[in-house]
Amino acid sequence: MLVVLISIVIGFLMVVVFRYTSDQKAIRIAKDQLKAHLLAVRLFQDQLPVVLSSYGRIVRGTGRYLQLAFRPLLFVIFPLTLLVVQLDRYLGWTGLPTGEPFLIKAQAADSDVLNTIDLRLPPGLETTAPAVHVPTENAIVWRVVAHEPGNYNVNVGPSEKAFSKRVSVSHGLERISPVRLRGGFWERMLLSAEPALPTDSPIRSIEVGYPSRSIPFIGFEWNWIWLFFVLSLLAGFLFKSMLGIEI
Amino acid sequence: MKYPSAPKREHLGLFLAILGLILLCPLRSEAYAGPGAGFAVLSSFWTLFIAFLYSVYAFLTWPFRHLLRSLRRRKAYGKAQIKRAVILGFDGMDPELAARFIAEGKLPNLAKLQEQGSFRKLRTTFPAISPVAWSTFMTGVNPGKHNIYDFLGRDLKNYLPFLSSAEIRAPKRNFKIGKYTIPLGKPVIKGMRRGTPFWHWLGKSGIFCSVIRVPVTFPPEKFPGVLLSGMCVPDLKGSQGTFCLCTTRQSCDKFREGGVRVPIQRNGSALHSYIPGPEDPLAGNSGGELRVDFEIRPDNGKNQARMTVDSEKFNLKVGEYSPWVPVKFKAGLGFSARGICRFYLKELSPEVEVYVTPVNIDPGRPDLPISHPVTYSIYLAKLFGPYATLGLAEDTWALNEEVLDDGAFLTQCYANHQDRERMLFDALDKTRQGLCACVFDTTDRVQHMFWRYLEEDHPAARGVPHAERPKVIEDLYSRMDGLIGRVMKQIDEETLLLIVSDHGFKSFARCVNLNAWLHQNGYLALKSGKTESGDWFEDVDWSRTRAYTMGLNGLYLNVKGREGEGIVPAGSDGEALKQELRTKLNGLVDPASGRVGITGVFDCDAIYAGPYVDNAPDLIVGYGEGFRASWDSVMGKVTGQIFEDNLKAWSGDHCVDPRLVPGVLFSNRKIAEEKPGIVDVAPTILKLFGLELPAHFDGKPLTVSTEPAG
Repeated sequence: MLVVLISIVIGFLMVVVFRYTSDQKAIRIAKDQLKAHLLAVRLFQDQLPVVLSSYGRIVRGTGRYLQLAFRPLLFVIFPLTLLVVQLDRYLGWTGLPTGEPFLIKAQAADSDVLNTIDLRLPPGLETTAPAVHVPTENAIVWRVVAHEPGNYNVNVGPSEKAFSKRVSVSHGLERISPVRLRGGFWERMLLSAEPALPTDSPIRSIEVGYPSRSIPFIGFEWNWIWLFFVLSLLAGFLFKSMLGIEI
Repeated sequence: MKYPSAPKREHLGLFLAILGLILLCPLRSEAYAGPGAGFAVLSSFWTLFIAFLYSVYAFLTWPFRHLLRSLRRRKAYGKAQIKRAVILGFDGMDPELAARFIAEGKLPNLAKLQEQGSFRKLRTTFPAISPVAWSTFMTGVNPGKHNIYDFLGRDLKNYLPFLSSAEIRAPKRNFKIGKYTIPLGKPVIKGMRRGTPFWHWLGKSGIFCSVIRVPVTFPPEKFPGVLLSGMCVPDLKGSQGTFCLCTTRQSCDKFREGGVRVPIQRNGSALHSYIPGPEDPLAGNSGGELRVDFEIRPDNGKNQARMTVDSEKFNLKVGEYSPWVPVKFKAGLGFSARGICRFYLKELSPEVEVYVTPVNIDPGRPDLPISHPVTYSIYLAKLFGPYATLGLAEDTWALNEEVLDDGAFLTQCYANHQDRERMLFDALDKTRQGLCACVFDTTDRVQHMFWRYLEEDHPAARGVPHAERPKVIEDLYSRMDGLIGRVMKQIDEETLLLIVSDHGFKSFARCVNLNAWLHQNGYLALKSGKTESGDWFEDVDWSRTRAYTMGLNGLYLNVKGREGEGIVPAGSDGEALKQELRTKLNGLVDPASGRVGITGVFDCDAIYAGPYVDNAPDLIVGYGEGFRASWDSVMGKVTGQIFEDNLKAWSGDHCVDPRLVPGVLFSNRKIAEEKPGIVDVAPTILKLFGLELPAHFDGKPLTVSTEPAG
C-alpha cells in the first residue's frame, strides 16, 4: 500500500515537473512528426525511396523526442535518485529473520591482512560455521544466525582496530544498510546507509546478506522497483491525460 | 507554426553524458529514474517498435508486392512517355493578365515556360464556374456527364437550393431517451459529381497519384493514391463557410451571407462570448445550436487580449490572427464535434470586436472524411500542424461584409496558401513517379476581391486615388510565378509540368437581376400586391411564372410535370419559350452605361450531352464583360431594378460568357494545339502515361512533345 501511494504521488509530481521543465510545444511537434513519418510509411508503402527516407526520419525523430523528453529528467534526476535510494533502504530488503543463517562478508584491502581479521558478535548473534577465506577476492565470509530480533552492531577487523557494522534482525519496516564501505562517495551514497570506513582502514567493505523484499500485488510477488516503475508510469499517464500535459 | 530549430550541441552533450551515467552504469535502485525517464523510453521505444514491426512486415511482403508492382508498372509505364506529371492548378489565373505581366517582365518563370514550352488559352466550360470546370478537368467530360452545373442545384419540388456537389444527411433512424434523440448510425455523405476522375484510371494501372485540394473531390472517393478534398468541403456547421463576428456593438443587422453576429457580454474585467457551432445532434427536430464559450481579458496597455478558449490560452494583439485553435462542441452523452478556427482581434477599445473564421473540420481528427485515405489529412496535420480544410477557406464573405479589411483578408489568404505550398512540396517529394496535382485557390479569391483596384472606374473603388491602389493582383501573379520557379527546380526532364486554370477573370462592376428582368417582362409573377420578393422566391406566384433564375448562370423554365408548380408544357412550347428568351436576352443593353450586359444565351440541350442533362438548367446566360448576375438574383430574389452598381469588394468575376474567360495552360513541353480545352487535360495525361482512353471522354488528347523543353 505504501508503494502504491508513493508511486501515485511521485507519478503526479513527475508529470507536473515534466510540464514545467519541458518544451511542451516542441515535444508535441516532435511527436506529431514522428506519427507523420509512421503514417508516411503506410501511405506511400509501394515507393521504396519514400519508405526508406521515412525510416530515417523516424530514427532521427525518435532521437529528437528522446532529447526533448530527457531534458526534464535533468531537473529531477538527482533529487529523485536520492529519494529512490532512501526508499530502497526501507523497501529493498527485509530485516534478517531469527533462526536462519545469513552471511557477513568482509573485503580486505589486500590479502596480507586477511589472517588478522576476525568477527566479534554481540549477544544474540552467533556464528554457525568457521570463517571462510576467499583469497582471490581478499574476502572473508562468516555464517551467522540471530536468536533474537533487534538491531545489533558486529565488529570486524584486526583486534586492535575493529570496525562496526549494523545488523537488523526484524520483521518490520526498517532502514537497512546492506553494506558499509570505505570510500567512493557515489557508491556509498547509492548503496550504504552507514558512515564510511576510514580511508586507512585495512577493510574495504563489510556486507550483510539481507534477503530482498518481495511485495505481493495483484497476485504476483514484486520487487518494489518494478512495482514503482509500473505504478508511477500508470499514474503519470493518468495524470497527464487529466492535466492535458504532453509527454 | 514555427518548428523548433535543431538542438544545441552542448545540450546534446550533457544529455548523452547523463544518459550514459544512468543507463550504462546502472546500480540497483537508480536503474529506473522515475516516470520521466520511463515515459521517454517507453514512448520512443513504442514508436521504434511499431516502425520495426512494420519494417518486418514490409520486408516479408516486399517480394510479393514488388512482383505485383513490377507487373503493374510494366503494364502502366510500358507505354508511358513521361515518368511524372505535375499539374499546378491556379484557380482563375487569367491568360490576358498573365500575358501582360509576362510582357512587363514580372513573371520570369512563366515567361520561361512560354518560351521553352507552351502558353495557351484554355477553353473553359459552360458556365465558367469552378466546380463545373474542375469537374470537367478531372473527368474529361462535359457537364451533362458529370452532373455539376453550378455551386447550387434546385429542388424541383419547392424551388429551394441545395449544394450541387455533395449531400450530407443526418442518419435516418434514431431513438429517444428523455430529452435526447440519439442518432443511429453516421451521417450519410453522398457525392453528386458523376464521372471518374482520371487519377482513378492511373491508380488502377499502378501509377501513384497525389491529389491535393482539387475542387469537387468531397466526399473523397476511394482510389489507389492519396487525395485531400478541396472546394465544397463544408465547415463544421455544414455550410460553405460561416464566419462569426463577436462584438460589444449593438446591432440587429444580419449579414447578407456567410456570417453571424454574436454579442460579447462584459463581466467585470473579462468579456465573454461564444462560437456558434453545428446543430445539436441529440436535439432531434427541436433544433438547438452547440456553442463553445470563450473569454477575452483585454490588456489595453499592450493593445492585446488574453484569450481563453476551452483549455487553450493565448495572447492576441489587435490586428493579429491566432494560430489554429482546436474547439470541441459538446452535445451531451459523450457526443461532440471537433473543429479548428482562428481568431482575429479587430478592436479592443472603445468597443471589442473579434472575428472568428468558420470552424473548419479538424484535419488531425476529422469528424467527416476529407481525404483518402482518412489518414492522409491526419498525416498532413501531424507533419505541418493544423490547416484550413474548408472548401472555400479564404473568407471572401467577411471582406464583402467589411468585417475584415483588405490586409486581414490577404493575411488569411496567404497563410492558407503557404500551408498548401508545404503540402505540394511534400507531395512532390513523395510522388517521384506518377501524378502530383495540386490546386491553389488564392488566385481566384484574391482576384475576386481586389479586381476593383485594377480598374480606374470600378464602383467598389471609386474615389480611391490611383497612387493608393495596392497592386495586389500583380503581387499575386508574381508570388505564383515564384512558386512555379521553385517547382521547376524540383522536377527533372522526365516530368511534365502543366499550369492549368479553370477560367480567367473579368470585372464585375454591374449587377444584373435577371429575375427582375423576367418579372418586368412578364415571365415571372409575384403574389398579388408584391413588387419584390424575398430570398428564394419567397413571394413568387408559381402558377403564373414561366421562367426563373437562381445561382450564377442558369435560367430555368417552370416546366409542367418537372417543377413542383410548373406551368410551361414540355416539348414545343418549352422550346419556343427558350428561343423567345434567348432572342430577348441576347444583347440586353445596360441603359446606364450603354454596354451590352448579356452577350450570349446558350441552350443547354445544344451544349450538353450525357445522362444527367435533365438536371441542367434550360439556358446558360453569358454575361458581358463587366456584368454578372446580381447578388439578389443569385439568391432567387426579385428586385425592382434590373441593373445596378456592384459596390462590394467582390469586384471581379468569371461567371460571364465563357468565351470571354478562358483559363491558362502553361507547359514545360511544346503543345501543338492552338485552342485546347480544359476537357482535354484528362485524356492528355492518360495518353502520356500510355493508357487507353475511355470511350465516353469528350476531350481529345493534346499533342505534347516527347522531348523535354529547352
